[in-house]
Order: sequence, then structure tokens, then C-alpha cells
Amino acid sequence: MKKSLIIPIIGLIILGVSAFLFFNKNEERDNKNVTLPSSLFDTVDFYDMKPLNQKELDDFYIVNFFASWCKPCLAEHPLLMELQSKGIKIIGINFRDDEENFVKWINEHGNPFFHIIRDDGSIAYEMGLIGVPETFFIENSEIQKKVQGPLFYEDIQKYL
Amino acid sequence: MKIFKSIYNLFFIIFFSLFINISLANVNQLQDYYKTIRCLVCDGQSIQESDTEFAINLKEQIQKKYDSGMDLKKINQELVNIYGEEISFSPSNNHIILWVLPLLTLVLIFFLVRNKYRKN
Amino acid sequence: MISLLGNLSFYLTLFFIIIFYLGWGKKIFLKDQVLLNLIYLGGIIPFIFLIIGFTISDFSILNVIQNSYIDDPLFFKITSAWGSHEGSILLWIFLINFFGFIFLKSNNNFQIHKQIIFISSLFILYLLLSSNPFVYVENSSEIAGLGLNPILQHILFVIHPPTLFLGYIGLIIPFVLASHILVKKDFSQNLFKQMLFWSKISWFFLTFGIVLGSYWAYSELGWGGWWFWDPVENISLIPWLLNTALIHSLQVSIKNDQLKLWSLNLALYSFIAAVFGTFLVRSNLIVSVHSFATDPLRGLFLIVIIGYLLLVTIKLNIKSALHFNQDTFSLVSKESFLLLNNIFFIASALTVFIGTIYPLFSELFFESSVSIGAPYYNFAFNILMAPIILLMAFAPQVSWNKNENKNNKVWITILITSAISIICYFYFENIYFAIASFVASPIIIQSLIVIFKKFHKDLRFYSQWLAHLSIAIFIIAAVYTEQFDQEENFIFEKNGSSQLLMSNKNNVYLKNIKDTSYSNYQEILVELSILNDEKEYILSPSKNIYQPSGQVTNEVSTVNQWFHQYYATISSIESDRVAINLVYKPMINLLWISAIMLVFSIFLSIIKRR
Repeated sequence: MKKSLIIPIIGLIILGVSAFLFFNKNEERDNKNVTLPSSLFDTVDFYDMKPLNQKELDDFYIVNFFASWCKPCLAEHPLLMELQSKGIKIIGINFRDDEENFVKWINEHGNPFFHIIRDDGSIAYEMGLIGVPETFFIENSEIQKKVQGPLFYEDIQKYL
Repeated sequence: MKIFKSIYNLFFIIFFSLFINISLANVNQLQDYYKTIRCLVCDGQSIQESDTEFAINLKEQIQKKYDSGMDLKKINQELVNIYGEEISFSPSNNHIILWVLPLLTLVLIFFLVRNKYRKN
Repeated sequence: MISLLGNLSFYLTLFFIIIFYLGWGKKIFLKDQVLLNLIYLGGIIPFIFLIIGFTISDFSILNVIQNSYIDDPLFFKITSAWGSHEGSILLWIFLINFFGFIFLKSNNNFQIHKQIIFISSLFILYLLLSSNPFVYVENSSEIAGLGLNPILQHILFVIHPPTLFLGYIGLIIPFVLASHILVKKDFSQNLFKQMLFWSKISWFFLTFGIVLGSYWAYSELGWGGWWFWDPVENISLIPWLLNTALIHSLQVSIKNDQLKLWSLNLALYSFIAAVFGTFLVRSNLIVSVHSFATDPLRGLFLIVIIGYLLLVTIKLNIKSALHFNQDTFSLVSKESFLLLNNIFFIASALTVFIGTIYPLFSELFFESSVSIGAPYYNFAFNILMAPIILLMAFAPQVSWNKNENKNNKVWITILITSAISIICYFYFENIYFAIASFVASPIIIQSLIVIFKKFHKDLRFYSQWLAHLSIAIFIIAAVYTEQFDQEENFIFEKNGSSQLLMSNKNNVYLKNIKDTSYSNYQEILVELSILNDEKEYILSPSKNIYQPSGQVTNEVSTVNQWFHQYYATISSIESDRVAINLVYKPMINLLWISAIMLVFSIFLSIIKRR
């Protein structure tokens, strides 16, 4: 076989693989093996100034990152309220927010959270936050699922 | 043959000895490090260039850890563990092939050309 | 009406192409020459129709609705014609046929043109089946349009894509010529000369297009950078590298009939690289600022087109009578230096290519997505380019087909170069700049020597001299600006005029904040004053809020100080304070000047000697 054929043949192989990749794009992002940071359990609640009482937590609970400056957070808010009404405990983490704006937002729209933590970004960092809103579904102290972006009905359907 | 071989050898020697020096250069370490961390909510920028909340937060957290004494290697490893390999613009050692390839190419070229000329 | 005409024109063109292929021209009373002209015109006209549609804001065309707004300035309405995916495919078709039409004037070998119109027909089918801008919309009298993305409302956006496209598609002529040469085994010098001419034309547009894109990113995107190793930048770099190699390799093929297989394959791969690059961007496999929203069929079609081109290449190489080991020339001759040049350029192109597609493949095999950016390319690409730069200094001095023995001259140059770079290292205290000065100095030294020698009547010599010198200056400017730039973030309280110090001892004041309304946007402008040694520089960065989308853009403001530039953007505006990002970029203007010198240097080699 001629030497000059090597490159175009490799080119065709790459093309073939590109075509394969193109039609089998993996949309799901891996759930990174993130362990729940201790700061989640040590940081005091904004209102009652007490740390999380782990005995009060069920086997299943939700951690939700939000901010008053975040529009999609407002969009998913009703879903959080619904989850709360079904008795599901949600830990709310207020990400890099102004305190006044945060309080106004909670008062205006309602508080779906069982425990609220104000975060300057360090808890977000340790949990691998991409951006608000972001929701973690925790089962038996392990992260079962992560939803980046606003929650949709399909995401929470099975928990209701 | 003599000339370009000498040029080439000279170039190789100087370049590689300088290259080793590069990794020891210590100018503005933190800012340079930020340039190697990818902003995951941007289109391929590094966190150094981006002003999204994601980038700013990451810069702040890294700064905190750096100031408290953690060295950049540890910070980087932690970052990769949390966010995955894609956060770093410097491919890890799993992808050593990327780093080896250009050097391999150079060596290959050198020998190919040398053999071709031997024939002539 | 326009939609109808546009589509009709394409169907007619395809019809004529089929007639031409079957040789039935006589049956419809058209000579082949006339038929070809009609085919090319048929591919040119639809684009003009779309431009007319945008000019008159004809909202019965879907593409016009999606990409322009009734109150957009006329200039940008017109340029929105190629702002969308559909519009840019239309532009491709226009350019393929435009080049074909012009090429017909100098070369009317029908076999060659058959291949051009075949490739054109593939793209026309692609457009008609998956990316047609001429979609008719009914009841459009109430519509005002969605508007052009404000980032794209800039003079550079008008010129940058068409210029790049001219470069990409210009490469089709060398492709079909190389194809013809290999099939017919006609290695006449005249054909190679035509290939060289057309590859110079496309090189001009490619280089210019890349520089424009780079300048646009620098002045628009607000990051202060000018090259990001963004996948789309890379896929314009790969054809550029191959095109440059082609120009060099062809000189050898024309002069001494050597390196023919190299030249021919380079011609084939340059065009393939251009088309593959287009595929990569539009298939959304790569995430970048340039991404278009797409549907899968588009990606599939481009795979088909590239597959065709690769199969052609394979067939041509199998059939060719040439082998890589046929050349004979001396060890130290211009031919051997240019052979090395070919090899290094191809290796660089491959490196950029591998770096660009590696993340996709790593996702498949390692299940983790790797990010490849500046750290990797600065290492890999520069290692492979550095030998070329050094060769650039010495190769022009070497004679053809003779064993050169200018040892002394070379050693003197190396000695002076080493001295210069050592001095640079101690004066600037920067290792990267010292390396850059080492790599670029030989060229500058040789260039200076040339000035003192007698005048060459052949202008092509000065074309090469200017091009190489531009590259050397570019390297010096680029490394200098990246190593010695300074960035500061200031916060100004609105109700005072704060004074702050920048690290090179400049005083920065906030002068004024203005709020103005324009036809389709509102502008909030912050006026800054920099006092440096008795001289005052005014910077006016702004934030623009566009209608109807509400999109906010950051407008950069720059001010020049000889080769240096101050560069400011607004980080944020709040009720009581303004945050400003100020960058000092030394030598950046020298970078742009050398880039323009490089772009226009090619003209010296096209001007015919009288």
C-alpha cells in the first residue's frame, strides 16, 4: 500500500468515528463522586441560628442552591413549595447573595426550606456547583441525582 | 547536512534547557494558574478571563485556599476531583499521549529525513 | 416572491448541472460553454436575492424574520444575510460558483469544471434539504423581526466571515486542479503555476480573515485576548497552515519539478481541512462562541461531502504514478529546506487538529471530557513552529540543488542571536521573551542584511522577505504583549471623583457617566481619564441594551500610545458605584501592524514583472 494513502484512510476513520459520535451524543453528565461537605451540617440556619439537626433529617432529602438574583430559581420555586407540602425536607443554600435581597425574596415568594444556609461560595465549591439553580437529591447520605438548572416536573414527579 | 544538523541540535539543546526553566518561573503564579482553569458555563474561556458568578466564585475560593497555605498542585487535584477533568485546560497525565505526540513527531521527522538523505 | 425566485434558481441550476453531466447540452440548444456560465450564474443569483430580501426587510422570508429587525440600521440588515447558518451555506454556494465563474475565464477545461459543479451541487442539495433560507412565511405584515444578535452588529463582522469564506472556498481551485493533474497524469508546469496563483489568492483571504477575526475578538469580546485556541479559530488555522505549506511546496514543483506529490496532496488536504472545519462548527460537536443551533441532518450532510472528498483523495493517490521517494536533490539545498518546511507545517496542522478533536474522542473512550486550551497549544504548537521560524531565516539564502556551504555566515548569525537573547533575558527578566527573541532574531538580522544588498528585480523576493520579516515582528510583539501586559480592577464611587493608581504609576479618574438612546439600543457610557506623564488619555467604555431582545453588551474602549494600548471595559454598574476593568497592552499595535504587513506581502509576488 502506498505511503500517501495512510492519511486519507485515517481521515475516513476519524470521519466515521465523528459520525458515530454525532449520532450518539451523550447528553447526560456524570454524577461526580462528590461527598457531602461537613460545612453543610455545621453551618447554622439563618433564622434560628442553629446547625442542622441530623436526627430530624429523613433518609431522603434535597439540597437546593438558589439566589434572589437568579431568574430560573424563581421559575422552579413553586415546585419546591409543592415538594415541601408533601413533607420532603429541603436544605436551601443561598449562594452569594445580598442579605437584604435574600430576605425580601423569601418573604415575597415563600419559604420551602427546612433549613436555610447563607453561603459565600465555599459550600458551592465543595459540591461542584456549576450555577444556580442546582438541586441535589440525597439518599442514605449519598448523592443520588443532580439537576443543573431549574427543576421541571419530570425531575420531581417520582418523589411526590 | 552539517549546517542544519548543527542548527537543529543547538536549537534542541537551548530550547529544552530553557523549557525546564519555564516550569520553575514564578511570575504571578495565581493569575497564571487561573488561566489554566476552564470556566464551565462559558464558551471555552478560562476563569481568569470570565466574569460569571461561577468564575468569580472559583477564583475567590482558590484564593482563600492559596492564602491559607495550600499549594497549587493540591488545589488543582481537589478541583479536578470535584468538577472532573474538564475543568483543567492542562490535560492530566492520563492523556500523556498529547504531550508526547509533538516530541515524538519531532524525533520521527528527524529520523525520516536522515534516512532519506542516507539513501541519496 | 423572493423565496420563490431563490428556490427556482437552485432547481434550475441543478437541472442544468445534470444536463451538463449527461452531455445533453445540444438537446436544449446550449453550447457547453454557455451551459457552464448559466450554471455558475444560477449559483450566484440566489445569494443576491437574499440580500435584496434583507435590504427591503421582506418578512415573507423566514430567514429575514429570524435575523433582522425592522429598525436595524440598513448596513447591518444587509450583513445579516450571512449571519445565520442558512445564510452562510448560501454564501458558500455563492462563492463556489463565483470562483468557478472567474476560473472559467482563464481555464475552460470542462473536466475540471465538472468537478467544481459537482461539489457545488452537493452543497446546493445540502441547502435545499436541510438549511434553506428561502422559506415562505404567510401573513407576515404584522411581523417586525427578531433582530440581529448585537454582538454581530459591528463593521468587522461584515468583513470577517466573507473574507474567511473567500479563503476556504478559494482552495477549491487548487483541489480540482490537483485532482485533474493526478487523473490525467498531466504534470505540465502551467497547471502547477495556476495552482500557485489561486492558492496565493486564497491565502490572502484566509490570512486576512483570520487577522480580522482575531482583531474582532480583541475589540468586541472584552477579554483583552486575541487568540484563544477556540475550536473555531483552530479550524481556520489548519487550512491556513496547509495553504502556506502549499505555496512553498509549489515553488519547488514549478522550479525543479520536485516535491510534486507533496504539493498535490497539500492542495487536496487544504480544501478538505476547510470543509471539515465547517462541519465541525455546524454540527455542534464543538462548543464555542461561534456555535450555531443545528439539527442532525445538517451534520450528516457535511459528513457525506467530506467523505466524498476523502474518497477522491484516496482514489487519486492510488492511481498516481508518483511516489514520495522520487525526488533527488542535495542535502543542503533550498529543496531540502522546503521539504523540511512541508513536514513541519503538516505536523503543526496535525497537532492543532488533534488538539481540537481530542476532547470528543476522550469522551468516547475515557468517559471524561478533557479540556484542551492555551497551556497545551502553547507547548505543542510552539515546539513545532519554532524550527520553521529558524529555517525561515536561513532558507532564502540557500541555493537550489546545490550543496551549500555557508557555515561561517550561519555561525555568525547564531552568535549574534544568542547575544541578543541573553541581553533580552537580563534586561526584561522574562524567559519567554528571551526565547522569542532567540527564535525571531535570525530573521530580523538576515532581513537587515538584505537591505544593504543590491536590489532584486524580481519582486517575489521582496514578497517573501516582507512576509518572513512580518512573522518575526509578530512573534516579538505577541510574546511581549502577553508577557508584559497589566490588568487592574477599579471601583469608583459615583458621587466622588476617585483617583486610583495603576501599577505603572498612572492616575485614573472617573470623569463622567452618560446615558443615551439610539435607534435600536440604549447606551450607558462611562468616561475615564488616565494621566500619564502630563498626557491625558480618555477612555469611554459602555454598556449597550438592545431592542427588541433586551440583550446587554459590553463595549470596549481603547486609546493608543504609539505601539501600546489602554483597554477598558465596565465590569458592573450599580446605583452608587462603577466597576471598571482596565488593561494595558504594550506592543499590541505592533502586532496588528505586522499582521497586516503579512497579509499584504503576498501581493508583491502576484504583480507580474514587466
